Amino acid sequence: MRLSRRNFLKTATASAAATGVSSALLNFTAARAANTAGYKALVCVFLFGGMDQNDTVFSFDQPTYDQLVQTRQSLFDQYQGARDRQFLQPLTLSNQASFGAREFALAPEMPGLRGLFNQGKAAIIGNVGPLIQPTTEQQFFDNSVPLPARLFSHNDQQSTWQASAPEGAQLGWGGLFADAAMASGLGQAAQFSTITTGGNELFLTGNQVFPFQVSSSGPAEFFALKDAAMRRNEPGGEEYYQVLRRHFTGLDFQSSNLIARDIKSAFEATVVNNETYNAARGTVDRVSTSFPAGKLGSDLKAIAETIAIRGVLNVSRQVFFVGIGGFDTHSAQAQDLPGLQGQIDGAIVAFQAAMEELGVDQDVTLFTASDFGRTLAVNGDGTDHGWASNHFVVGGAVNGGRILGDIPEPVLGTEFQPEAGRFVPSVSVEEMAAPMGRWFGLTDAELNAALPNLANFAGRPALNFLDPDPLST
Amino acid sequence: MATRTGFARIALTVMACISLAACGGGGGGDTGGGTPPPTGGGGGGQTPPPAPQPASDAFETEDKTARFLAQATFGPTPQDIATLTGTDAVDWILAEFDKPVTLSLPITQDLRQRATQTFDGQFYTASNTNAFWTTALTADDQLRQRVAFALSEIFVVSNAPMGVLFDYPDGIASYHDILKRNAFGNYRELIEEITYSPPMGFYLTYAYNQKADPSTGRMPDENYAREILQLFSIGVVPLNRDGSVQQGAGELYDNTDITGLARVFTGLVFDGEIERFFGRDDAAYGNQVLARPMVTWDAIHEAGEKNFLGTTIPAGTNAAASVDAALDTIANHPNVAPFLARQLIQRLVSSDPEPDYIDRVAAAFEQGSYALPGGTQVGTGKRGDLKATVAAVLFDRDARDTTSIDPNRSGKIREPIIRFTNWARAFGANVAPEYVQILWFIDRTGPLGQHPFRSPSVFNFFRPGYIAPGTQSGAAGLTVPELQITNSATIPGYANFMTAFVFGGQVGNDTSGIADLFAREGVTGYNDAEARAAFQADLSAEVALADDIPALLDHLDTKLTYGQLTPETRALITEAIQGIDVSGPGTDEELLVARIAVLMILTSPDFVVQR
Repeated sequence: MRLSRRNFLKTATASAAATGVSSALLNFTAARAANTAGYKALVCVFLFGGMDQNDTVFSFDQPTYDQLVQTRQSLFDQYQGARDRQFLQPLTLSNQASFGAREFALAPEMPGLRGLFNQGKAAIIGNVGPLIQPTTEQQFFDNSVPLPARLFSHNDQQSTWQASAPEGAQLGWGGLFADAAMASGLGQAAQFSTITTGGNELFLTGNQVFPFQVSSSGPAEFFALKDAAMRRNEPGGEEYYQVLRRHFTGLDFQSSNLIARDIKSAFEATVVNNETYNAARGTVDRVSTSFPAGKLGSDLKAIAETIAIRGVLNVSRQVFFVGIGGFDTHSAQAQDLPGLQGQIDGAIVAFQAAMEELGVDQDVTLFTASDFGRTLAVNGDGTDHGWASNHFVVGGAVNGGRILGDIPEPVLGTEFQPEAGRFVPSVSVEEMAAPMGRWFGLTDAELNAALPNLANFAGRPALNFLDPDPLST
Repeated sequence: MATRTGFARIALTVMACISLAACGGGGGGDTGGGTPPPTGGGGGGQTPPPAPQPASDAFETEDKTARFLAQATFGPTPQDIATLTGTDAVDWILAEFDKPVTLSLPITQDLRQRATQTFDGQFYTASNTNAFWTTALTADDQLRQRVAFALSEIFVVSNAPMGVLFDYPDGIASYHDILKRNAFGNYRELIEEITYSPPMGFYLTYAYNQKADPSTGRMPDENYAREILQLFSIGVVPLNRDGSVQQGAGELYDNTDITGLARVFTGLVFDGEIERFFGRDDAAYGNQVLARPMVTWDAIHEAGEKNFLGTTIPAGTNAAASVDAALDTIANHPNVAPFLARQLIQRLVSSDPEPDYIDRVAAAFEQGSYALPGGTQVGTGKRGDLKATVAAVLFDRDARDTTSIDPNRSGKIREPIIRFTNWARAFGANVAPEYVQILWFIDRTGPLGQHPFRSPSVFNFFRPGYIAPGTQSGAAGLTVPELQITNSATIPGYANFMTAFVFGGQVGNDTSGIADLFAREGVTGYNDAEARAAFQADLSAEVALADDIPALLDHLDTKLTYGQLTPETRALITEAIQGIDVSGPGTDEELLVARIAVLMILTSPDFVVQR
C-alpha cells in the first residue's frame, strides 16, 4: 500500500497548506475568479444539539399562538407562564404582506435580536434545512426524491449543514468559500482565512484552508519555548532556544509514518501560526465593546478581536465559526433553553456593536445554524430530533426585518409529521448559503462547486437577504 | 559551558522538594540482565523460574514488553518491564483476567465524604475523577482498567452538562464500575447494565420516559433509542464482518424504527424519590440513588405493540420484558461484532485497522472464544464474549508484529489522557490527584482537552471514522480519530501541561491554593508534605545516566517509545542537553538534563504516536 508518486505530490501539497508555513507555494495565480476587494467575513454561530425553532420564533397572532399552546400544552405548563404571549418579543415584518394575518415574535430572552430585526439588521430564514432537491411532504412519504442521508442523527446532520454530506465529509462550504478567495490570487494568508474558537471544524475546512484556533486570550503559547525565548541573551540561551524551537516545529523529523508526519505538521503549524498571530495582536488596539459573560460572548469577542487585526494578518476574506452546546433539549427544555437564548441574544448584539465600532458592520455577516430543528410534538418535558428549523442572519449588509421561507403553522399532522411534527424544509441550507457566497464574492461556478445541490433549486427565486457583490458576476 | 539557564531556573524553583539521594552507580536503570525475582504485586500463580519456551514472544525483550503494555495498560512501569521481560505474555493476560476488580465507587465515596461542602464543592465533585486517576495509575488489574476506559469512549456518559451527574459523583463512579466489572464479561450483559444505569438514563434522557399520550400529542423520548443503535451497537449502515460497508445496502433503519424502539425505553425510573435529588437537598441520598440500577414502572410504560429492526414486541409486554427483547435483537445484530471490534482496536492498538484484523477480532466476538498463542482458549464460547474479544485485539499479528502491516500506515495517536498516564507510570509519579486541582478539570483546552467521563457529547471527543482533512493520513484515507482533537490550541495545551508535571511544578512549592481549597470546602486530611510530593516523578534512574547521553536516551527509549525513538529526536535532545555541565557531584544540572530529555520525548511525534 505504498503511495504512488502522484499521491505523494498531492499529499505533500496538502501538508504544506496544513502547516501554512509554505503557503506561498500555494498562491499560484489562477484566472481572477472572485472579487476580493475590501474586506468581507462570514461568522457561523453553530447551536449544537438541535435548536427548537418552535420555542424560539413563535407564532404571535392570537389564533396561531393559541394553536401552538394547544399543541405543546405540556411544555407550556413547564414554563409556568414564562412563555405567555405578553412576554414574547413581537417582530415588525417589512414583508408582512407575505404572511397575511400571521404575526411572529421571538422568545422573551431575545429582545436584542428583536431590536436588530426591527431595525432591519437581522432577517429570519424560516423552515430551513438540508435538502437534495425541492421536496414536498408527499414526496418524502413516497420516497420519490433523493433525501439527505441519516436525517435526525446529530453528527450526520451537523456535517450535512456544514458540508452537504453526512459524517465523513471532508470539505465544508465555509472552507470552500475561503478557497475561492484564495484562488483570486491576492496572496491572502491561507492559515488565517478560516478561524474558530472550537476545534477542527469541518465547516471551515477547504482544499487550501484549515481552521485556526483562537480564544479571547489569543492562541496558546508553548511555555517551555516562551521561557527559552526570554533567555536568549543569556550564555548559551540563543542556541538552546533554537534547538528547542526546531524540536517543537519538527523541522528535522524524517519518519515516513503518515500519522507521525501529521503530528509533526500539526506541531509545526501551531508554533509558526501562533507566533504570527500573537505578534499581530500586539499591534492593534483591543475592541472596547463589552461582551456578556459566558462562552458565546467570550468566543464572539475573540472573533471581533481577530477581525480587528485582519490587515496585519493579511486577509481580506475570512470565515469564522463559534459553537455553543446544550440545545439537545430532550428533557428539561423549559429550564435549559431560555438561558441559552439569553446568551445568544446578548452575545450577538454585542458582536454587532463591535463590528460597528470597528467600522466593518457592512462587511461582516453572522448567521446561526444547528444540527436540525426539533419536533413540534412534546415528549413530556422536552422535544426530539426534527429536520427544518428557523435561523438568523445578522449584519449591516443584511436586508433585514423580513422572514424568508416559511414558518409552518403549529398543527400536528399537516406537514411531514410521522405523528410528531418534523417539518420538511421549505428552504434548503444551500439556498440559505448561496446569497452569502455571492455577497462574499464567489462566482456562480464557485458557488455551485461549494454547494453541490444548489443547481437543483435553480428554478426557485433566490433568497435576497444579502445583495450580491457587484463585482463578482 | 554554563548551565542552560532557561530551564535551570524552572528546575531550581522546584529543586528543594526533590530528593536526589539516589545518585549512586548506573545500576538502577540497567535492568537488561537476568530475570529479576518476581515481585509480589501480581496475581496468584507466578510462573516458576525454569520457564519453558514462552508461547508468546510478546515479552521477549524490554522494548517488546513495554510496547505490549502500552497497548494493554495505562502505561508500562519500570518494574513491569523488568519483571515481565522474558516471561510469557499468555500467562500475563490469563492472570489479568482473573484479578479482582479495583472499583471506583469506594474511592469516590471515601474522597467525597472527606468534604463538608458537597454541591458546588470542587473537591466533592472531583471525587470520581480522582478515583479514575487513582485506579488508572495504581490499580493492579491494569488490563481491565484500560479496557474499561476504552469502553467509556464507546458507551459515553458525560457530566459535561453539569446537572445531576455532576451533583452526585457516585453516579459516574458506579457507571465506571459497570464498565470495569463487564470488561471481561459479555456484551449483552454489559448493554443491559448500561441501559438500567441511572447515569445513562439521565444523560440520554430516558429515565422517566413515558408512553405516548394521544390526547396531548406527547411522544416517547427518542434519544436512547437512536443512540443505542447508532453508537452503542450497530451504527447506521450494514457492515461486512471485516468492518467494510456493504455497498448499495442503504441504511439500517429509518425513523419508524427509532419511534418504535423509543416505545421500549419507557417506564425506566430511578430507584428513589425524584424530588429529593433534583431538589439537591440530600447529597448522600442522591448518591445512593444514582449508584443503584433503575427500576421499571409499568404504569408509564408503552403497553402497545413495538416494532423496530424487523422485530415485533407484542402488545401487553411489560417494561422489563420489552427491554430484554429489544436488547436481544440489538445484541444479535450482525453489525455488532465488526462495529465494536473496530473501535476496540482503535482505542488500544491501531487508528486504521486493516479489514482482516477487524474480521479476526469480530470472529472472536461472534464465537465467544479465542485461541491464545500456544493454544489456550479464552472465552465462554458465547457470542459477545469480551475476554475473547480483548485477547484477539492484543494478540493479533497486526498488533504484535510490527512488520505485519505497512509501517507508514501503522500506529495510533496516544490520547492526551493516555500520554499523561504513560508518563506518570513510567516515572513512578507519586499518585495523589486530590492535591492536584488541574487534574480535576482537564477537559478544557488549556490542560489536555480531554477528561474521563466528560466528553462534549455522546459522540465522544473524536469519532471512529474521522479522516482528518488536509493531512497526509487523510489523503491516504486513514481514519485517525485522535486527530480530531489535535490542533493549534490542544497541542500547546498538552505540551504546557506536561512541562509543568515534568518540571515538578504543578503543585511544587506553592501549596497555598490547594490548602485554601481544603479549608474552604471543609476537606479533612490535608497534609502539606503529601501535597508537595503529589505527582513528583522519580527520575533517579535518569539522573544516574545524566553524564552518558546515549545511555540516557536508550533508557528513555525503552521506557517511553519502546525502541522507536528516531535518530532525529535523539540528535535534537543530544544537542539540547550536551552543553549542560553535569560534572559536579549531585548537581541540579543532572536533574535538568533528565527533565529536558523527558519533555522533548513527550513532545515528539515518536511518543505522541504509539506504534
